Amino acid sequence: MDRLVIAGREFDSRLLVGTGKFASPQVMAQALAACGAEIVTVALRRVDIGNPQDDTLREIDRHRFLLLPNTSGARNAEEAVRLARLARAATNINWVKLEVTPDPYYLLPDPIETLKAAEILVKEGFVVLPYINADPILAKRLQEAGTATVMPLGSPIGSNQGLKTRAALEIIIEQSSVPVVVDAGLGLPSHAAEAMEIGADAVLINTAIATAADPCEMAIAFKLAVEAGRRAYLAGPRAPADRAEASSPLTGFLRD
Amino acid sequence: MTALLSRGVPFVLGRNGMKSLQINGRAHQFAPAEMPATLCALLEKLGIGAATVVAEVDGRIVTPEQFAQTEVRDGQTIELIKFMGGG
Repeated sequence: MDRLVIAGREFDSRLLVGTGKFASPQVMAQALAACGAEIVTVALRRVDIGNPQDDTLREIDRHRFLLLPNTSGARNAEEAVRLARLARAATNINWVKLEVTPDPYYLLPDPIETLKAAEILVKEGFVVLPYINADPILAKRLQEAGTATVMPLGSPIGSNQGLKTRAALEIIIEQSSVPVVVDAGLGLPSHAAEAMEIGADAVLINTAIATAADPCEMAIAFKLAVEAGRRAYLAGPRAPADRAEASSPLTGFLRD
Repeated sequence: MTALLSRGVPFVLGRNGMKSLQINGRAHQFAPAEMPATLCALLEKLGIGAATVVAEVDGRIVTPEQFAQTEVRDGQTIELIKFMGGG
């Protein structure tokens, strides 16, 4: 399969995985290993002073995985920039998944604050991967601001609803000159395959893997779906037709 | 676990000669003899492994390499932050 290139860095896997909601660090590590992901997202939070040794990420091999810190919890550009700077200070990683979600109910990203934060972070040398609604104009504006990808949502975070935004995603994919990573809302491997079939460069999955009854099996299922979808896209699928088109010859029938 | 970062609440001066630090949004009192001198000493006192933490002291970012040289003073607002699982 062809490789994914983000900001000049090459990856074999087109499946990005989030590390939230896993039952234990061990289950997370098994799922990450099983699906071959190379980029894993993490969040920044206050240390729990009452339980300081809690370290859910201790099982992540930082030589094997690129940690992609997110700015989850940020309600505006200022908070997102602050989190990104802290993440970089903690790890020397200058990649950031930029998310600004002021509305806790649908967790939809704020386009204006996201663009504002992206412009600041790009100027500060960050590799910015912004989480956005499936808005083709915003995707263009972010690209012009210098983001490394765009990450439009399929449906609200953790909702498992799949590609509710398909028509807009197709426009974003058609117009984008940076990788399009479909993020959020993909609940089944078939959703991931669909995103890849329409030409997404990668997908990011968290809830659907982490909260499955068997996260490791689900991780493998997503890996296969992403590969299948990518191969199908590269193979050039035919458009649907209104009428039947016979697969068998229409001559030589045993009649007349 | 889910506590988000926020600017510390206004600092209230420690009473009875106690020293105080606002740590992750909560006031912590220290007897003068117990007050940690550096960020490194503070983390040790709180039982926090320094390797996985980044700090903000009065809004200024402090990386783990700087913990030992960073003095802690009465009345400061300190945020101690680490990576957690997230999507």
